[in-house]
Amino acid sequence: MTRRLVYLSLTAVVFFSAFPLYFSVVVASSDTSALSDARLLPGAHLWDNVVRVFDTVPFGTAMLNSVLVSLSITASVVLFSTLAGFAFARLRFRGRTAFLVFIVGTMMVPTQLGIIPLYILMAKIEWTDSLRAVVVPALVNAFGVFFMTQYLSEALPKELLEAGRMDGCSTQRLFWHVVLPVARPAASVLGMLTFLAAWNDYFWPLVVLSSPENHTVQVTLSQLRSGYVTDYALSLTGTVLATLPLLVVFGLLGKQIIGGIMQGAVKG
Amino acid sequence: MRRVLAPLLALCLLTSAAACGSEAAKDEKVKLTIGLFGDFGFKPLYDEYKATHPNIQIEERVSEYAAHHQNVTAHLATNTGASDIEAIEVGYISQFTAQPGKFHNLLDLGAGNLEGKFLPWKWQQGLSGDGKSLVGLGTDVGGMAMCYRNDLFAQAGLPTDRDAVSKLWPTWADYVKVGKEFKAKRPEAFFESSGNMFRAMVEQGSQGVYDKQNNLVVDSNPGVRAAWDTSVDAINAGMSAKLTAWTPEWTAAFEKGSFATIVCPAWMTSYIQTNAKNASGKWDVAAVPGGAGSMGGTHLTLPKQGRHPKEAYELISWLTAPAQQAKVFKATGNFPSAPELYSSPDITGFTKDFFNNAPIGRIFSDSAKAVKPQYMGPRTGDVFTAIGSGLGRIENGQQKPDEAWKQVLSDVAKLK
Amino acid sequence: MSDRLYRWDLRASPYLYIAPFFVLFAAFGVFPLLYTAWVSLHDWTLLSDEHPFVGVANYRELFGDPYFWNALGNTLSILVLSTVPQLLFALLLAHLLNRPLRGQTFFRLGLLLPNVTSVVAVAVIFSQLFGRDFGLINAILESLGAGRIDWQNGTASSHVAIATMIIWQWTGYNSLIYLAAMKAVPRDLYESATLDGATGLQQLTRITIPMIRPTIIFTVVVSTIYGLQVFAQPQLFGGGGPTGITGGNDRQFQTLSLYLYEHAFTNGFQFGYASATAWVMFAVIVLGAGLNYLFVRKIRSTS
Repeated sequence: MTRRLVYLSLTAVVFFSAFPLYFSVVVASSDTSALSDARLLPGAHLWDNVVRVFDTVPFGTAMLNSVLVSLSITASVVLFSTLAGFAFARLRFRGRTAFLVFIVGTMMVPTQLGIIPLYILMAKIEWTDSLRAVVVPALVNAFGVFFMTQYLSEALPKELLEAGRMDGCSTQRLFWHVVLPVARPAASVLGMLTFLAAWNDYFWPLVVLSSPENHTVQVTLSQLRSGYVTDYALSLTGTVLATLPLLVVFGLLGKQIIGGIMQGAVKG
Repeated sequence: MRRVLAPLLALCLLTSAAACGSEAAKDEKVKLTIGLFGDFGFKPLYDEYKATHPNIQIEERVSEYAAHHQNVTAHLATNTGASDIEAIEVGYISQFTAQPGKFHNLLDLGAGNLEGKFLPWKWQQGLSGDGKSLVGLGTDVGGMAMCYRNDLFAQAGLPTDRDAVSKLWPTWADYVKVGKEFKAKRPEAFFESSGNMFRAMVEQGSQGVYDKQNNLVVDSNPGVRAAWDTSVDAINAGMSAKLTAWTPEWTAAFEKGSFATIVCPAWMTSYIQTNAKNASGKWDVAAVPGGAGSMGGTHLTLPKQGRHPKEAYELISWLTAPAQQAKVFKATGNFPSAPELYSSPDITGFTKDFFNNAPIGRIFSDSAKAVKPQYMGPRTGDVFTAIGSGLGRIENGQQKPDEAWKQVLSDVAKLK
Repeated sequence: MSDRLYRWDLRASPYLYIAPFFVLFAAFGVFPLLYTAWVSLHDWTLLSDEHPFVGVANYRELFGDPYFWNALGNTLSILVLSTVPQLLFALLLAHLLNRPLRGQTFFRLGLLLPNVTSVVAVAVIFSQLFGRDFGLINAILESLGAGRIDWQNGTASSHVAIATMIIWQWTGYNSLIYLAAMKAVPRDLYESATLDGATGLQQLTRITIPMIRPTIIFTVVVSTIYGLQVFAQPQLFGGGGPTGITGGNDRQFQTLSLYLYEHAFTNGFQFGYASATAWVMFAVIVLGAGLNYLFVRKIRSTS
């Protein structure tokens, strides 16, 4: 495949990927609440709509809550998944396969129904209507553990670990000095995906967080599309605003994957 | 944990209720939370209320329609997390009135003397099956009219004046006849989908899809079958645009003017106005065939887990009082459920220039007044959904009318 | 480090490292599981206070309901239509990205945009694409002389449309996962292959795919799991309202998750019946993920 063709096809994919987001910006900058089918260029009303969003809902508080929730979940998921992935991929212990199968198995439980018993549980320990109820159950997940296990079992050279053992490294030192650097590309991808999922989570926060001052961004946004008549300009302005932090995080973590290439090149 | 809690709880029960929060002392601040699905136009009213009730704080919790009701259900099922006041829309109300134990009985809180303030059928929708407890007080009602495109009517050689149009269709059979005349001249559809029309017909009858003992009568009530047949007749004549309500395509159809009439509750007028901006003056409002009807509307309820029933009751009885309903109507267009307003000039004089200055206040008042109280069984909303799907299958050519009806009956029989 | 400490470290560390998952699962995962299993044996509506025990009646009713089998069939059909092209396409994209290119960050960010786009925008865009009367695709079909397609009301057409939404949303996501794995493949393997005159495609099938096999297994298993639980796309495709939940008037695109949701939250709040559905769904997913796992392993051993 020629270089030009590669660039062309990648650009085409990005174009299709970006179009709905671009369309959101178009609607968000228009002056009507309705969708106009023929419109393809942004209007001049973005700022008015932004002001309306901030006037209608406590958007700032919600952003702050979401940043708090998503950052703590992401940090924790990446760390614990890498630890567990390392153990499953390269350490020997009794029951390894069974434990891993069990963890993957928990992903297969349909989620929508767990909401009610989980809510009962949260009510018992009096965690309802607090951010803890959203953060704590999400601190580790099967997806992350499985992901890191699979990645490390192909990317972590056994010889490197053995050399470390020879030098008398404890498992913990091996983790920090050998495993973490190798895990970087995958850890940053996992970080992005986790942040994304935490940021977009809607169903559970909606049930468990009732006070407006505790709402996350997605819960707050749902208010913008309530009522008999959906104000699309207002609603999509809100979602565009809520997307900005994601783009920042992606930019930062996206660079980390490139950092990983350098590492891989040195190690390889 | 439990070991510590149990004696505490016992202590609570022994000492007066005041210590444990059930009833607040007079000068103590009471925070009331109110869960709504959208802008009910209450915000300015709260300030007014707080001026006369300095000890009350009000916190509004708004979410989106489906999410709100699912949330209320989860919170009632787990007996925790509900707001002091929860709004429930008429599509859900009968499932909740079937479980009056989950709510404070408003009759015990003094609602008995308010009955005359509300439309009788609106009042009845908030009652439990045995009539002994009142679960909710009504806010708005749909009212019902028929919105129509006067430009399309003119092109089809039909009258365009709203009184003349109203005279075209005293009954639904007449409406379908007009539709046939329209279709003979015009390529546009006559209405957007048959489900709304079916629903309007059934709700105008003295009996709906349930009898008073909560038995389903879809099969045996001739009114239901007649409404079905009329709808099928209209579908077969190609009158339906085969759209599904609330989809973006449905919304686009308003702007494109691809159908000529729509069954029109009061709030629908705001919807048309927002979504068909360029059609100003082309839409107008006539009476609905059959003379009366209502679609949509809400009740305010007090979940049993709320700890301030007295204060909450005081607030909802004030919010739903005629004076406040009139203010809400003028601000948002939500049509009041208080019949004494239907003769007040505030309401009857209300017109909308978008609809050629149609006197929609008077039209919706006439329609709401004429609605006959009809008993709603526990699963009325689901029954209508099942029948609507059946009509949809005919519209889309997926089934013949007989097959569709058979499947509707078996679907409905599964609703317990 | 003393010898005893060293041995203790070897033995205990693995358990310590996997402990956080199990601690949290014990705290927040076990109870919901057992609870729904218990509920599934009862006639349990959410709002009522009485929940009579009915044994396996919910399961029997479920297996006797043609709508359940219909939902299962739709789910499998949408799964195949969406997962296969999505993973192949993702692999190819990652392969294209796994070379020195200008604007790497730009392309990578671009690929994830479908995942940050709000559901409202997605619903609006796709209904404008697949709309019957005013949809873009139908307008193109018509201008080419082909007839309009009523995307929503046909079984096959609705499945294709929903699969398109899924492919659009998750391809970039999977290609990033592949890309991270490809970064770990030693460069010199490719260099010697290039010296031997291997084409790009040969490098992909002979070096990359075998080297990142664990990650491929990961994506296949995870896509199967998530694909069997697909909920948002068919619901949005149906307009979000009651027609979305039943998957069209004829249930032509109702998936298992929508069926479960219909019974739990819109159709009488039948928590017991919905719990039984959840457990049967769990069995289906275990079966599906297991079969796919074996399938992916087999491909490798025969090649």
